Amino acid sequence: MSTFQLTIDGKVCSANQGETILTVATRNGIEIPTLCYHPSVAIYGACGICLVEADGNPKLLRACATEAREGMVVNTKSRRAEQGRKLALELLLSDHRGDCRPPCVEACPAHTDCQGYVGLIANGEYKEALKVLKEIVPLPASIGRVCPHPCESACRRKLVEQPLAIAQLKTFIADLDLADENPFLAEKAPSSGKRVAVIGGGPAGLTVSHYLARYGHDVEIFEAMPKAGGMLRYGIPQYRLPKEVLDQEIALIEAMGVRIHCDTRIGKDILFEDLEKQYDAVYIGIGAWKSAPMRCKGEESQGVLGGIDFLIDVAQRKPVAMGRRVAVVGGGNTAMDACRTAMRLGAEKVYVLYRRTRAEMPAEEIEIVEAMEEGVEFKFLVAPTEVLSKDGKVTGIKLQKMELGEADASGRRRPVPIEGAIETLELDTVIAAIGQKVVTDGIPVALTDWNTIAADEHTFLTDRKGVFAGGDSINDGPGIAISAIAHARQGADIIDSYLKGDMVPYSKPYIVTRQDLTEEDFLDRAKIPRAIMAHLSPEERKRNFKEVNFGFTEEQAKEEASRCLECGCADYFQCKLIHYGQQYHVDPQRFSAEPRRRKSVAVNDYIEYCAEKCILCGQCVRVCEEVAGKGVLGLVHRGFETLVNTEFCKTLELTECLSCGRCVDLCPTGALMETWVGKKRVPLKENNIYPSVFPKCADR
Amino acid sequence: MRVTVGMGSCGIAAGAQKTWNVLEHCFKEQGISLSVEQVGCIGMCFNEPIVEVITDTDHFYYGKVNGEMAAEIVEKHIKGGVPVEEYLIPEEEMEFLTKQTRVALRNCGIIDPEKIEEYIGRGGYQGLEKVLTTMTPQEVIEEIKISGLRGRGGAGFPTWFKWNAAHESPGEEKYVICNADEGDPGAFMDRSLLEGDPHAVMEGMMIAAYAIGANHGVFYVRAEYPLAIQRLEKAMAQAREKGYLGQNILGSDFSFDLEVKAGAGAFVCGEETALIASLEGERGMPRLKPPFPAQRGYWQKPSNINNVETYGNVPWIIREGGKAFAAMGTDKSKGTKVFALAGKVKHGGLVEVPMGMTIREIIFDIGGGIKDNREIKGVQMGGPSGGCIPKDLLDTPVDYESITKAGAIMGSGGMIVMDETTCMVDMARFFMNFTQEESCGKCVHCRIGTKRMLEILDRIVEGKGREGDIELLEELGQGIIDGSLCGLGQSAPNPALSTIAQFREEYNAHIYEKKCPAHKCKPLLTFTIDEDKCTGCGACAKKCPVDAIRGEKKQPHEIDASLCTRCGSCEATCRFDAVHVD
Repeated sequence: MSTFQLTIDGKVCSANQGETILTVATRNGIEIPTLCYHPSVAIYGACGICLVEADGNPKLLRACATEAREGMVVNTKSRRAEQGRKLALELLLSDHRGDCRPPCVEACPAHTDCQGYVGLIANGEYKEALKVLKEIVPLPASIGRVCPHPCESACRRKLVEQPLAIAQLKTFIADLDLADENPFLAEKAPSSGKRVAVIGGGPAGLTVSHYLARYGHDVEIFEAMPKAGGMLRYGIPQYRLPKEVLDQEIALIEAMGVRIHCDTRIGKDILFEDLEKQYDAVYIGIGAWKSAPMRCKGEESQGVLGGIDFLIDVAQRKPVAMGRRVAVVGGGNTAMDACRTAMRLGAEKVYVLYRRTRAEMPAEEIEIVEAMEEGVEFKFLVAPTEVLSKDGKVTGIKLQKMELGEADASGRRRPVPIEGAIETLELDTVIAAIGQKVVTDGIPVALTDWNTIAADEHTFLTDRKGVFAGGDSINDGPGIAISAIAHARQGADIIDSYLKGDMVPYSKPYIVTRQDLTEEDFLDRAKIPRAIMAHLSPEERKRNFKEVNFGFTEEQAKEEASRCLECGCADYFQCKLIHYGQQYHVDPQRFSAEPRRRKSVAVNDYIEYCAEKCILCGQCVRVCEEVAGKGVLGLVHRGFETLVNTEFCKTLELTECLSCGRCVDLCPTGALMETWVGKKRVPLKENNIYPSVFPKCADR
Repeated sequence: MRVTVGMGSCGIAAGAQKTWNVLEHCFKEQGISLSVEQVGCIGMCFNEPIVEVITDTDHFYYGKVNGEMAAEIVEKHIKGGVPVEEYLIPEEEMEFLTKQTRVALRNCGIIDPEKIEEYIGRGGYQGLEKVLTTMTPQEVIEEIKISGLRGRGGAGFPTWFKWNAAHESPGEEKYVICNADEGDPGAFMDRSLLEGDPHAVMEGMMIAAYAIGANHGVFYVRAEYPLAIQRLEKAMAQAREKGYLGQNILGSDFSFDLEVKAGAGAFVCGEETALIASLEGERGMPRLKPPFPAQRGYWQKPSNINNVETYGNVPWIIREGGKAFAAMGTDKSKGTKVFALAGKVKHGGLVEVPMGMTIREIIFDIGGGIKDNREIKGVQMGGPSGGCIPKDLLDTPVDYESITKAGAIMGSGGMIVMDETTCMVDMARFFMNFTQEESCGKCVHCRIGTKRMLEILDRIVEGKGREGDIELLEELGQGIIDGSLCGLGQSAPNPALSTIAQFREEYNAHIYEKKCPAHKCKPLLTFTIDEDKCTGCGACAKKCPVDAIRGEKKQPHEIDASLCTRCGSCEATCRFDAVHVD
């Protein structure tokens, strides 16, 4: 065999007569993407992903099919080659129908792997489920209890009967772990020698610290309050989130080596500039702790409290200036927390005053329901115009009655005053829970027009070098806890890369999702009602701070988890199409094409073929013909309408299919997959949970 | 005296069978001792059915002869001896034939393709004889090289080079294959040649087989050509009888036989490796090249594939000499080429001219100019793989390089003439629709890329074009050319790209003004009634299928644009020219 030399991407490589450019490149550690190539089957040349350019040749060459020649100068990353590759990927993805990731993961601001941990719970793999969960959320027991779960709103199970109780399932495994003798502690990377200062020990600060600690950095949190936890401790009442749970979770973070300095306020106990000097990076997660004023006459009277201030005092068991007749102004979760807390503190009468209707209230439905059950009286379409007082103390409130008018910019109908309709309530306490503002005293960073901290949306950097920020205090202002965790989780990776000398901003990887499913598509599913968590009755709970919810039993959790429809593609982490698509930053949307509907073809117990994910690479056809020797699969129809099918569209049982699984193995997308009967297929990044044995053999 | 009727598929479609029947009937009935002879298509499509009356001294061409006319011709001319003047093809129309140089089509329309003696009588199989008795294979290849013959299927690859490559390939088992798939819509050069002079193509294949060392030949004829297949089978049977096919032909060591295999309705099987796959019973998808068919083709054996017209020229070249062929044409494009002249031209049909004649000469001198004397807009050359040559480039000579430089391709010979009523965007869409449907589906760039291009073009002609569409078409087009596996994909974007390059303003009009300047794209047309011309007769309102026209009697009427379906009935009905289309 004669050997000769050629150059690929500037590297001189030896090649043997008859070898292709791809073979030589692979041997020399140069990766050329392929989708339709496999060394065990004949060369096909269909996908066009392996296009490369060679000096002196005006055409693009398929590396998998072009013989290497002496003296060839090959460029695998030339502009033309990469454009050719990107176009092929975009064309394929424009005709790909499926969900790379399920709607629940997409809806979660932090993209927690809900399908992953729910599936593992259904399979009884609780430790594994917790590990998956803790990849993104370091405080799952707390979050599970308080999150308004956008994942559940997106859950497709609602097209059958009701969405999955994802938040409660999260709480289930988190509680299980906390009760364990050896709760899960993530592995830490070796010490990097870098130090990070985190201002604020709330969800954002705790999260960024946990992951930076995992990455080997030395993290210290500077917390102004007596204890860490932020709004989770001071803004959310005990009956929703018992502080003992929070304490346990914070302890686990400290067990990672994170040091928390409480009662330390920036600008007072320590200077911001000192932190900048002494640490390699600074993270600001100070939240939004100032109650927004009502801006009505009489607001300064004694007995008017800020919603947050009220809750903070209660959380610290400080005496509160609350009377017997309380009105909470506002419609969000803070207003619900305040009114239910007031009830528990013994108020005789508690009102909630909201300027729109119940349908427009941003608070979680369950909070409204439970508050009403506990006896809180809701007054809708009223707005306070004046706080009445005598001798400087609150005696009542004057309310302007409203009606709904035209829709405003957000699409919600504006409340419009009804001429002359006034109502007066007798009160001694007014709690204003209409919003929270950020206070940045002592922190000299640039602010936005709304006085929040201005942080870059891709890097979370402020205007100061090495200073990052996240959570309620940045950009759009207060959000939900999981959003703060999302900022911090992404922030941790960004800061880690910054500390390593090459900052990588966050960019959302491209995925394929489908928006076309309706109830019609799920008519074949048996209806199983959503599990209802045992909880205290209104009488049992309204005058104490006992936790309202009991948690799921193991049986409930497993049954609830098995309702999951497994929307996300089980092959996501092995799929070469999406892997390269993300690498090349594709934008298939520019073709504004609707992926066509293809009927899925015959399956058997072990193999499933999803025609809408098939890219017609032909590997399954070739491997069945050339390696398995059976030739069960073939291409039918022509051109754009081509499909993989068996002869006469027989089901696989009626063919010579051995269920050997080679086709599934080779399939570069999720078109051909193995089915595991009775188990959820859980797509996971580290595929070491389930062995790579084909189901048919495993079944024996 | 001889009486012939042109019996190619197109002649038959025009009614030649009926004409034939009438003539035969008359001869029998009236005891005339003549038999009606059939000849192949002479290419003068606009005058079919054609009846020729040939005496020793005169040759009369009758055009558009139906049954009645045929009977009259029998009565007045054949019996009475006086030609029927008004049925004869006029002089200026005969120029269509007289201005051609017929080499490949030398026998078409003159001989009966089902009578081998007539072929032999005009020098048939003399080329084969010369080759088998006096030339070595290398000498044959040399002669083809001197002639400068290039593949007539579209690629224009030097024929001698292919033959030489197959000749050089080692092995006892080799094949010659004739690509008679002729998929371009509207192209029928190969069909006419096979139906009119099958022996010429066969002889060319035999000569090629001798040159490369093959003993077997295959015709791959598209299934849509049943008459061609029939005539080939008959010709092959007659050739076997006479000893031109079989063992030890003409007493030499050379043995050779032929068979015909029909295609199955796939344009892509005109691509040589897809054709070979189809011959092998596989799915008609192209294979990777190299290896080329000359090294590993049919059943992995060295194979030479050429187009029908290419083979058709070979016997003439051997008989008359390569130099004689090279004396015609231009520097790099020798000999003649058959074109299928169609579209808005007065005289359409098959035209064989020496390479180098200008497009203008073909259209105006031979084709008689534009129908209804309209203004010419351009010429589409090369079918779905080709491009558009605008009117200011009409003096481009027809040769491979010049046509490519002008932005089109020679292709297999399709030449579609366009006037101001042709919408270039619609034309590009038509061809893209064709290639998209015919894509085999193997490679991503072609399979999905052409679909996406078609979607954009569909939107544009429907009036839903968007900013950025033209740029997207250009980007997609170039990408598909770069990434496709075979010639179908590599040339599918050509019609769109060339019309964008030459007629961008028409695209702009469709996209930004939502107007079709050629008034072709229905969704973009607006029908209005001119108040001044309308007499209020109400005829259009009665015809309107959607009741979109309202008005008082004797008062100018009005069309409701929101109801109008742009069927055109009102415009056709109005006797006062009051309906305007914009």
